[in-house]
Amino acid sequence: MFLEIKGIEKHFGEGESRVEVLKGIDMSIEKGEICVLLGPSGSGKSTLLNILGGIDNSDQGYISINGEKTAEMSDKELTLYRRKHLGYVFQMYNLIPNLNIRENIEVGAYLSDRSLDVDDLMKTLGLYEHRHKLPNQLSGGQQQRTAIGRAIVKNPDILLCDEPTGALDYNTSKEILKLIEDVNKKYGNTVVMVTHNTAIQYMADRVIKLRDGMVRKNYVNENKISAMDLDW
Amino acid sequence: MKNPLNKRLPRELKSEFGKYAVLFLFLAGLIALVSGFLVASGSMIIAYDESFEKYNIEDGNFELESEAGAKTISGIEEAGVKVYPNFYIEEETKEIESTLRIFKNRTEIDLVCLMDGAFPQAADEIAVDRMYADNNGIVTGDELIVGDQTLEVTGLVALSDYSALFSSTSDMMFDAVKFGVAIMNEDGFATLDDTHLHYGYSWKYDNPPADDKEAKVMAEDFLEVLIRKATVVNFIPEFLNQAIIFTGDDMGGDNAMFTAFLYIVVVIIAFVFAITTSNTIAKEAAVIGTLRASGYTKKELICHYMTMPMVVMLIAALVGNILGYTVFKNYMAALYYGSYSLPTYVTIWSAEAFIKTTLIPLCILFVINLVMLWSKLSLSPLRFMRRDLSRKKKKRAFRLSKRIEFMRRFRIRIIFQNMSNYVTIFAGVFFANVILLFGSMFGPLLDHFEEEIKSNMICGNQYVLQDIELDEPEGSASGILYQFFLDSMMSTSAEGAEKYSVTTLKTQEGKMKSEEVTVYGIREESAYVKIDFEKPEDVYISNAFAEKHGIRVGDSFELEEPYDDGKYDFTVAGIYEYPSSIAVFMSQSEFNRMFDKREGYYNGYFSNQEITDIGEDYIAATITLDDLNKTCRQLRVSMGGMMVLFQGFGLIMFALIIYLLAKIIIEKNAQSISMAKILGYLDSEINRLYVMTTTIVVLISIAVTIPISNAIISMICKAVFADYAGWLPYYVPNTIFAEMFAGGVITYAVVAFFQMRKIKKIPMTDALKNTE
Repeated sequence: MFLEIKGIEKHFGEGESRVEVLKGIDMSIEKGEICVLLGPSGSGKSTLLNILGGIDNSDQGYISINGEKTAEMSDKELTLYRRKHLGYVFQMYNLIPNLNIRENIEVGAYLSDRSLDVDDLMKTLGLYEHRHKLPNQLSGGQQQRTAIGRAIVKNPDILLCDEPTGALDYNTSKEILKLIEDVNKKYGNTVVMVTHNTAIQYMADRVIKLRDGMVRKNYVNENKISAMDLDW
Repeated sequence: MKNPLNKRLPRELKSEFGKYAVLFLFLAGLIALVSGFLVASGSMIIAYDESFEKYNIEDGNFELESEAGAKTISGIEEAGVKVYPNFYIEEETKEIESTLRIFKNRTEIDLVCLMDGAFPQAADEIAVDRMYADNNGIVTGDELIVGDQTLEVTGLVALSDYSALFSSTSDMMFDAVKFGVAIMNEDGFATLDDTHLHYGYSWKYDNPPADDKEAKVMAEDFLEVLIRKATVVNFIPEFLNQAIIFTGDDMGGDNAMFTAFLYIVVVIIAFVFAITTSNTIAKEAAVIGTLRASGYTKKELICHYMTMPMVVMLIAALVGNILGYTVFKNYMAALYYGSYSLPTYVTIWSAEAFIKTTLIPLCILFVINLVMLWSKLSLSPLRFMRRDLSRKKKKRAFRLSKRIEFMRRFRIRIIFQNMSNYVTIFAGVFFANVILLFGSMFGPLLDHFEEEIKSNMICGNQYVLQDIELDEPEGSASGILYQFFLDSMMSTSAEGAEKYSVTTLKTQEGKMKSEEVTVYGIREESAYVKIDFEKPEDVYISNAFAEKHGIRVGDSFELEEPYDDGKYDFTVAGIYEYPSSIAVFMSQSEFNRMFDKREGYYNGYFSNQEITDIGEDYIAATITLDDLNKTCRQLRVSMGGMMVLFQGFGLIMFALIIYLLAKIIIEKNAQSISMAKILGYLDSEINRLYVMTTTIVVLISIAVTIPISNAIISMICKAVFADYAGWLPYYVPNTIFAEMFAGGVITYAVVAFFQMRKIKKIPMTDALKNTE
């Protein structure tokens, strides 16, 4: 098993305001899969993604990637774990405002000794002609492409996407999803995508539905369709 | 209903308590210092100004070769003046190495202020100047051996015509350590040895001059009358008397300097506040957009964002003023009492100090922040909601070559992103360095000057003999006989003693004030002054003269007789290393020809050995290393404490400005830093980006501003020194610059440590939280 999640529990607040966000999550994901985490607001999907990404800690349980357990890692080891294995894409692109598009992608490339060619990647992402622009000079879709470029340029094992189309219009959303799909095909990264858009589940290899901090459904999608064919 | 936004203010204070506390303490301390200074100096200037009338200070004084009879006095008074005898005797003190100028207690003119104890009543009692006493550890009740007499110190006094203890008005600086003034009663004064009795007289005009210009004309007219009535040895109108006017001029100058210092610092701090607020606006752009869209006016938002800086400044100003009027005033007054022999003063609660330290700083802060806020908040609500705060049309980012290493490009981008912060850091470092250099250079400058004086002094003991005029006709038998007698009385068997001639002329009034120039006549192949005069009319000038007046070899200049119309032209053949005096050197034969002296005339000796076989009656003055060093000695006493203050203030300001602005840079980039952490950047790599960039800017700022500070301080010092008699060459050893650089780096290292800690504390969730 490439990615194993076992008995993950997480709470926020104390006393009367204590909220159990994750109540024992178990799941596993194969290498190269596109896994969609579906669930309404408050279901705990983003919290799970953050724990998976090593930017938040669980109260109980562990996450294991290729046999490496994140809970046993020190801060520095966790950083190196993210550096080596993970790429992140958020709903808001979190690009560095004072770097141009090329440099924003280089921020990712810098972290890896097996990074992809930045110029080739920009061409793939349709960003090459915008490479000298600053993020605020681009549309939302172009900024999200840049964020994806930054995430995948270091050729990570796992691409974590937190509502990557949440701030985009219909057509742009589909373009971005297609891009993620293409990247998955081309580079073979495992993709874990959090969304509340139920239509996206149809492009996934695996669908995991969360509600109230628990896994309600976990299944392999036998009728996977292309991102461009999605409709909502 | 009150503006609900105001409820944010206490929370803002709580969340940014460290920043506001540091700014408050810095501003309150600065304002306390300046306010204390302005109150003390303002009160003292008033006391000083009032002393002219209260103590009936003279319009001038002159010294005659011998005591003037009643007829001469009445003849002099026909010039429209009232003349008061003000004789004094100069005596060396035993145990304490110093010279005391002792007067009879005055009853009509230049009255004396009693600071402690009582005026002398008995013949063996004396009251000495308070500052001289302080500098030499003398207290009321002590015994003081003056000449051969043991006198009891009954009190400490301030002589109104000696607020600055100049022994001669031609001195560059007064000397309150080895020179003092004192008073005795009439009986006591009569018991003193009259070998060094000076026939001094003070005068007051019947119709006082309206201003210095009129005083100058009246003094010239009076001198013309005086030289016709008596042989004048010395003539000093009040407006030229350093012992009287120096204190007033200096206190006025200090006042302006401290005020300018306060305003410059307030401008820099106002920019720090403006940059902080600008950063907050960028952070809260969406909220501001919403508020503006909901109907909040620009004015309401300006008021809101202006409140904290104004409140901090107002409270700092109030607390600073309270501290200034109570604690710091006494400290500042003590600084003045450490430099000047001032009479007692009464604290005057000055509105000027309040305006300068409270209202004007508030106005500066208000204007700078208003301009920034007005400009920032002029954008449409929609632009705020879109977080598009750029005032310029969208432009492409400037290009940086791919060949530049990525981290380096990243750092260059950070510099351009935070240009306003870095410009303010540069300005802050620059001003801090100016202050630091000012505080650090004084000691080494004086050390160097002392060293220069010592290594270039003409001889160990320089004697000036009494210039005794022959009453007998020149060439007559009695005249020859009397000259022979004088020569024998003034000859010495001291080994190596060399005769020379000397007189005093003065420069012409021009860009600089007129000042005394010592003109030496040196014998051929002198063992003491190594000048080879190629032509008889060759003239050399001291390097002090050349540097101060910008005279070079080949230039001509004119000097005047101090007390008559005689004028002399000189052409410079060379510069002689003699830093301690504004001096001219020529051959003795040329000197005697120029000043119409007999062949073989001399009136002084250069000697490395002490001359003991010439009677004291025939020696007018002895100049030793100690005399030449008095400027340095007094400057150390007067300025020493102040310099430490400047050094401390410079370092604190340096650290504060960099800390606050570097903090803003990190806060501004918190989301990027958080994202970099998520991506897997190590803290050390993030430090290399954000801390290293500030480090580079700070190091460049220190390195660049040190030479600029040096150039500015050099200009200021040269301008200030040009106003003094004599010359103090500007000199700062390279070690000071190295120390300043090292001090800056060490101070910055502390700041960098806090920056790194702040970066470490930025949570990765920041990148997730702020995703509007």
